[in-house]
This record gives sequence, structure tokens and C-alpha cells, in this order.
Amino acid sequence: MILHPAVLSLMTMSLLAGIMVLLAGAVGVRILFSWNIKSGSELQLSLERQTYLVSTILAYTFVFQILSLFLYIYTADNLHGLFVGAMCAAGTLNVNEYGYPVLLLKIVNFLLAGTWLIVNYADTRGYDYPLIRAKYALLLLIAPLVLFEAYEQYRYFSGLHADIITSCCGALFSQDTRNISGDIAALPARPMAIAFFAAMTATLVSGHLFYWKGRGGWLFSAVSLVAFLVGVASLISFISLYIYELPTHHCPFCCLQEEYGYIGYALYATLLGGAVTGLGTGVLMPWRNRGSMKQVIPQLQRTLTLVTVILYLLFTLIVLYRIKFSALTLGW
Amino acid sequence: MNMISLTNISKSFHVGKASQFVAVNDVSLDIEPGKVTILKGPSGSGKTTLMTLIGCMARPTSGRIVLSGMRAAWMASEEPAGVEITSLPERFLNDIRRRTFGFVFQQFNLLKGISVLENVMLPAYPTGEDHREFAKRAGVLLEQFSIARHASSPVEWLSGGELQRVAIARALINDPSVIIADEPTAHLDTALSREFMTIVGTLKKAGKTILIASHDPIVFDSPLADRVVEMRDGVITSSGPKP
Ligand SMILES: Nc1ncnc2c1ncn2[C@@H]1O[C@H](COP(=O)(O)OP(=O)(O)OP(=O)(O)O)[C@@H](O)[C@H]1O
Ligand SMILES: [Mg+2]
Repeated sequence: MILHPAVLSLMTMSLLAGIMVLLAGAVGVRILFSWNIKSGSELQLSLERQTYLVSTILAYTFVFQILSLFLYIYTADNLHGLFVGAMCAAGTLNVNEYGYPVLLLKIVNFLLAGTWLIVNYADTRGYDYPLIRAKYALLLLIAPLVLFEAYEQYRYFSGLHADIITSCCGALFSQDTRNISGDIAALPARPMAIAFFAAMTATLVSGHLFYWKGRGGWLFSAVSLVAFLVGVASLISFISLYIYELPTHHCPFCCLQEEYGYIGYALYATLLGGAVTGLGTGVLMPWRNRGSMKQVIPQLQRTLTLVTVILYLLFTLIVLYRIKFSALTLGW
Repeated sequence: MNMISLTNISKSFHVGKASQFVAVNDVSLDIEPGKVTILKGPSGSGKTTLMTLIGCMARPTSGRIVLSGMRAAWMASEEPAGVEITSLPERFLNDIRRRTFGFVFQQFNLLKGISVLENVMLPAYPTGEDHREFAKRAGVLLEQFSIARHASSPVEWLSGGELQRVAIARALINDPSVIIADEPTAHLDTALSREFMTIVGTLKKAGKTILIASHDPIVFDSPLADRVVEMRDGVITSSGPKP
């Protein structure tokens, strides 16, 4: 293992997160089985008291969970000099077979943790615990993933040794590589660009409709999720080409480096942030017109929709800017 | 008006420890709106504990308390009026506590070193109401209780009877519908205790619900007392005839 401060903080963060979701999960199971707001039993009253504490602890845990994705890619980027053949985070993550699964888990957990925070926010605005079951059901979905991520991350870091020979991003994200990253890299640039701008426009239009008319919440949420996936694929297939000004370099990690103005962080933050708020908008839909949530959720969903649209718009503007000022021109 | 309905209210201290102690045990009681209800009982019988539960200053171990007829700003319009306070999250409870209940404590709990007027206005600050509004109300209350000339004096200059009236004025600053007084006459002589009961009469006429814990005969034998509830060892031994 490499005793780098960022590695140690990631391990500590994931250990703590694991412990927290385990403890909270235990309360969650009791709430799912025994919660009854009508009852004045000792158990019910103690659950009501515990849920304050548990929600607060979980909120902090999940904020750290969200930050850990960025710390993880930062660390991978930062350590690449230690491995023979690595030129950016792509190589570091490829040092053993756990690097990429951890990244994927962290992205999934980022989206789930963000959604949980949104559900929790709505729940605590109500006076009658309106989303309590949904909140803990979601927790029971996230908890195993957080634990699995912690375990995989441990295996990843414990298998990191200096001077291991790895592949560079040029090989990993090449159109000729026969794996998922290679397949995405090989997606033709032009249709991908059309799909990208179409998806972003669809998010804008459906978001506009939902924001002003209060209609099509599900549609907006689904469209924003699709736009997220299209955005990630586009990043590898054609946006990267403009960033690096090379017709064949598809790496999604080199752009995290100083050489490219750390533009990768801005791209990932806007895209992932927009995905979370878009997802959260949809998850809240079933409670939109229920009792105490009537005065909370519609307004909250409008804010989330606005944030999604703004973040995706920022992402698109950065992309357009890179395309306009890139030395590369693809023959379209 | 808000009827306060207690259902199977219990309060234990030190739950799960050897020193576990049940201060209030399975109490069910309806407190009538606009009436004077007296809680009577020996020391340690759970009167103060029960009143802190009703006034949302502590949560019971089990049981529910409903303020029926109550309608809070944050309630959905189609919900029937009535708020169950024991399950309310803290942020909503604060709102109820400040607007519904006024407290008069045994020791008066006035803050030394600040003026009478500031003491009276204290519970109004957290409501976020405009300062001029509640300062005006405080002035009216001080007039009403003939302590206006002491408005800017620090409380330590006041006599026992005056302190008593400052404490009552403070309990009324947010115009609560329920006044909770814990042994309000314990430190007063007979004349002042009778004066206190006169004020209770005025408040009752103004439509307030009044709950007083006391083992002072001037209080529980007063013709103003609509109902005397007796407690012993955390249980109600006699809940008196309903008014
Ligand atoms: N915070 C606490 N922790 C432990 N025990 C407590 C606590 N508060 C009250 N008690 C106990 O609960 C019992 C009831 O107390 P409470 O103050 O309600 O009685 P009371 O009827 O108001 O008595 P008094 O007439 O003396 O004021 C007492 O035995 C007291 O020691
Ligand atoms: Mg007492």
C-alpha cells in the first residue's frame, strides 16, 4: 500500500461511512418494520427521537461520500507518477482490477447519496415524517453498496505498489481496444455530438415545461438521467478530442490535469451534480401532492429542476467553448 | 379553542439504568379550554414533570398529547385542525411552544441584570416578530400589571409581588392561549397569593386556558378553580368532576 495522505483519508472516510451506514441501517430496519405514527408506544417515541440523530449523522456521511468521488479521482491522478506506464488517473486505476470497479461504485454511490440527501431534506421539512419509509428503504439500498465500495477500495489501495507496470490511457481508451471504454471511444463523433446536443436540449425543454407548468416531472427526470449517460459517453467519444486537440486521444482523466486547466473537474462536477438534482426531482414525484409535502415538494422540485438545467447548461457551455477554441477541427 | 388531550402519558428518567424512575405513569387527561385546572399532589408526585410534557419542554417516554382545534401555519389546508405535539419534529415544536404556551415558574426564572421590560420581551425575540410590535405589547402588559414605572429597572430591585407580576407579564407576551404556572404562589404571602388569583380570574375571563400546579389552599380552594386533579407517585388519583 502507498501511504499517501489522500489514500489514508479515503480509507478512513470509507471506514467511517461503512460504520455509519451499518448503525443507521439497523435503525432503518426497525423503522421499516415498526414505524407507526399513530401509536404512542415507547418504541415509536424512541424511533422518532433516533431518526433525528440518524438523519443528521447520515447527512454528514453522505456529503463526505459525495466528496470522496472527487478525492478518489484526484488521488488517482496525483499518484500516476509512481507507476510505470501511467500518464494520468487512467493508468493508476488500471494498476489492479479494483481501480475501475471502485470508480464505478463511487459514481453510483454519489448519485444515490445525493438522492438520499434530497429525500432527507424534503422529509425534514414535513411535520409528520412523510418520507420516512422511503428514506430508510433508500438507505438499505445504499448501505450494502457503500460497504462494498469500502471493501473494494481497501483491496485496490492495498494492491497498489510503486513501480507496477500499467497501461497508459492511450491504450485503455483507444478505439481499437475491445472493452467497454474502447467501445465508447469508438463511438463515431458526429452522431454522438448530435445525440449530446439533442439530450441537453431535451433536458432544457422538459425542465422548462416542468418548471413553469408543473407538468412532466417524470419525463424531465428520465431525460436528465439519459442526458447524464449521453454526456459521459460524449466526453469519451468526442469532447475529449477537442480538449486534447488530438484526433485519437479519448482519455476522460487527462483533462483533470493542470495542462488542461483542470477542466475535467468542472465537467464532472456539473454533469454529476445535474444528474443528482434531476434524479432527485423524479424520486420526489410520488409525494408531490401528499399532505404536509404539498407546500414543500413542488417548490423544492422547481429549485432542483432549475439547478439541473443550469448545471447541464454550464457543462454544455464549457464543451462549446472547447470546441470553438480548439485547434482541432473534425471534418464534419 | 384548544382542548389538551393526554393519552397514556408516561415519563421515565434514566431509562435502562438501575436508577430508572417513572415520574409520570400512564396518565390520561383532557384539559378543558378556557377553564382553570389545578394539579395538586405531594412533592415528587410528578406535577412539574407532567407540565413540562404538556408545555413541549420535554418529550414523554410513551403516550401522545393532542392540541385539538389547533391550526398551525405549516399545516396542509385539508388536514383536520389539531396537532399531536409529542411526534412533532423540533423545528415545528418551537413554533407551537412559543405561540401556544406561556410559563410562570416557581422561582420566576427572571434574568438578573437586565431590565424588567427586557425580561418581559425575552420570549418574543425567537418568534421573529417585529421588535416594535412586541415592545408595544410589553408596554401594555406592564401598564396592566401596574409595573410600568419599573420598566427600565433591573429585576433585582423589585419586591416579591412585583416580580410575580413581571413573570406573568412575560408569560403573556406572545399572547398564548394556555398559561402554565408551576407553584406560582410558593414564595408569596397570603395577600400576594390572593392578588395572584385575582390576575388568574382576569386571564380566565380573557378566555385563556390555565393550568396550575399547587399545593396552596388559596389556589386549589379558590372558586376560580374549575377542576382539581390530584396526583400521587406519578398517577392521577382523582381527576375531579369535569367542569
Ligand atoms: N430530570 C430528572 N431526572 C431524574 N429524576 C427526575 C427528574 N425530574 C424529576 N425527577 C423525579 O421525578 C419525580 C417527580 O418530580 P416532579 O418535579 O415532577 O414532582 P412535583 O410533583 O413537581 O414535586 P414538587 O411539588 O416538589 O415540585 C421526583 O421524584 C423527581 O426526583
Ligand atoms: Mg414541582
